[in-house]
Amino acid sequence: MIDDQANSHTDGLTNTGRRNFLKTGMAGTLFLGTVSISASLSGCATAPAGRLSAVGTRMDARYRFRFLTREDIQLFEALLPAIIGPGLPEQPLARRTAIASSIERIDSGIYNFGPANQRELRRLFDLLNFGLTRVTIARVWSSWPNVTTSEADAFLERWRTSSLGLFNNGYIALTKISNVAFYGHRDQWHLSGYPGPPQYAVEALPQFNNA
Amino acid sequence: MSLTDRIAQGLASGWKVTDGATLTENQTHEADVVVVGTGAGGGTTAEILAKSGLSVILVEEGRLYYQKDFKMDELTSYANLYQEGMSRVTKDGAIAILQGRCVGGSTTVNWTSSFRTPDETLTYWSEKFGLDNLTPDAMAPWFEGREERHSMAPWQVAPNVNNDVLRQGCEKLGYKWQIIPRNVKGCWNLGYCGVGCPTNAKQGALMTTIPGALDNQARLFHGLRAERLVMNQDRIEHLQASAMNSDGVEPSGVTVTLKARHFVVAASAIGSPGLLLRSEIPDPFRRIGKRSFIHPVNATVAQMPEKVDPFYGAPQSIYSDEFNFKNGVNGPVGFKLEVPPLHPAMSSGVIPGHGRAQIDAMTGLPWTQSVLALIRDGFHPESPGGTVSIRDDGSPMLDYPVTDYLWKGLREAFYTMAEIQFAAGAKKVRLVHLDSDWYDNWADAKTAIANIAMEPHRVRLFTAHQMGGCGMGSDPENSVVNGFGEHHHVSNLSVHDASIFPTSIGANPQLSVYALAARNSSRLAHRLGR
Repeated sequence: MIDDQANSHTDGLTNTGRRNFLKTGMAGTLFLGTVSISASLSGCATAPAGRLSAVGTRMDARYRFRFLTREDIQLFEALLPAIIGPGLPEQPLARRTAIASSIERIDSGIYNFGPANQRELRRLFDLLNFGLTRVTIARVWSSWPNVTTSEADAFLERWRTSSLGLFNNGYIALTKISNVAFYGHRDQWHLSGYPGPPQYAVEALPQFNNA
Repeated sequence: MSLTDRIAQGLASGWKVTDGATLTENQTHEADVVVVGTGAGGGTTAEILAKSGLSVILVEEGRLYYQKDFKMDELTSYANLYQEGMSRVTKDGAIAILQGRCVGGSTTVNWTSSFRTPDETLTYWSEKFGLDNLTPDAMAPWFEGREERHSMAPWQVAPNVNNDVLRQGCEKLGYKWQIIPRNVKGCWNLGYCGVGCPTNAKQGALMTTIPGALDNQARLFHGLRAERLVMNQDRIEHLQASAMNSDGVEPSGVTVTLKARHFVVAASAIGSPGLLLRSEIPDPFRRIGKRSFIHPVNATVAQMPEKVDPFYGAPQSIYSDEFNFKNGVNGPVGFKLEVPPLHPAMSSGVIPGHGRAQIDAMTGLPWTQSVLALIRDGFHPESPGGTVSIRDDGSPMLDYPVTDYLWKGLREAFYTMAEIQFAAGAKKVRLVHLDSDWYDNWADAKTAIANIAMEPHRVRLFTAHQMGGCGMGSDPENSVVNGFGEHHHVSNLSVHDASIFPTSIGANPQLSVYALAARNSSRLAHRLGR
């Protein structure tokens, strides 16, 4: 059953039928829904990653992931160097910290999006994590941990310039949550030349004075 | 914290405020009136009814945030104070919806612009929807009353550079411009209206009508979601509500039953039709959720030679109505020009891009200026609006197809905004559009705008103004409520928010909501008076 679905997707995706198939939002939604089911049936982890050990790229073992799965985390570890690009520090430890803390903020942001939008993002991430659809829809040949920054950038560029609204929408979803989580945090304010809230107000207002 | 904050003070003095997250068992409460929603409409209604001596229960799905929580930080504010953690979009994902979800509703996070309903709009309503009582003359005292209640006046301080660029550009091109009236008292001119006013200067519902209602014995339940109005024969008997967990995301499983003689729904132009649809309120002509309007917004950004610091200073103080009604009420679509404040998270989310291009755009933030256009939708047959429906899980969703008529207006707005920015001295301008480059001069921008794709997802569209969906009118065949917000078919149900507007307003809607809610609540208080 799963194989049949997968084969028919592959066939449809190798020719122009794919475009027509994805043109309408409804078909797109059904397709993504199918992927989500296929992905979970085929054993992709869809459970939130929970607490991860500080070993490897996780910098804060106290953070508990409530939405992103381990695979989603690998996806963003591959995408953030392309999305943020030169905004990321080059020094390896600082770079890992910036990526890891941004992914934590992406997770906590999505948690607040609420159930309906979480479901939409679940579909998008499953589509990108599931090998068959990663190759056919995103045209990314390697699994995410092996994807280079230039391959990730090429993928983002394909979705940005695609004539299919569904892909543009996916591009916006991925870049918007990443950009907001990155540039919006005080650790990165200096990159946009934003000095933060006026100091005189911070000093005068009671909510900043916790003593 | 010392008790100088209106909310902290009130809570200490014994206001009847219940956080739904603290409830551990199902319960029932009763009042004369249950008001769903605490924004511009709900707050006004609760204060007027409570002052008239009626017992009132206020229900708010969002949570009570006030000065102690307002720390001028985008990420926590967007997550806590906005619908769906600031991720609300239209059904196809093409239009971002900025809408408050907290006590005070959108008035807690709006940018304070306070306009009367334009005369053209009121006149159109009376002619097209039989709303003869809503003429500019009849409404004037209600606007005046609310302007006083919310301390609304044209901003006396010089505009920040972000706004002044709009003024300069208009001046150069001979377009009219004016100063925006704001609802503030003792404003520090900081620039953080959108993340919760840190100084209690903004006179939204949180600082005015909500305290007014609570001082008059109203009860407030926050963190409580209105699930369903339950009818008994031809009247609503009670509201079934769900307590939310303290994170505000999921219900805890505790239910609250609220009984009343009368129910006022003021849950916004998305929330109110959503609640009425979930409740299967009588709707013989299937009007609930139809004709939803949003003032679709597009924008351009400019790099200016001088520092703009668009994150500081009153976010909105200059506007231009040159193009709002220029072609008549229902000719080619009109638009109002304003500017948005730009903080890092908002800017990086609104300006579409990644990698080198994105950081280059972000690095220029202190020199970045932006103009936005509010498209006046709903006045033309080719602008019939969107539709609110409910998803499988009962949550409301807005489907808003952008018609060719609106695309034409959005392209016109691109021309006008870029022209204004160059006239004001911009070094370069880009459209908030997936395909846009930076353009070095007006001629290049003009050519690009003529050829750029006007399509969903490629043009980045926004709305902070949701209107319609429970439209008012004299004829039940094409409206949900009458000219006083009273439901056509259910005698103890009123709707007091922007959902009753039969078209968009053509201006930031808060004062229109305040004024209609005040007018309709005064009548309701009289009706229910003992």
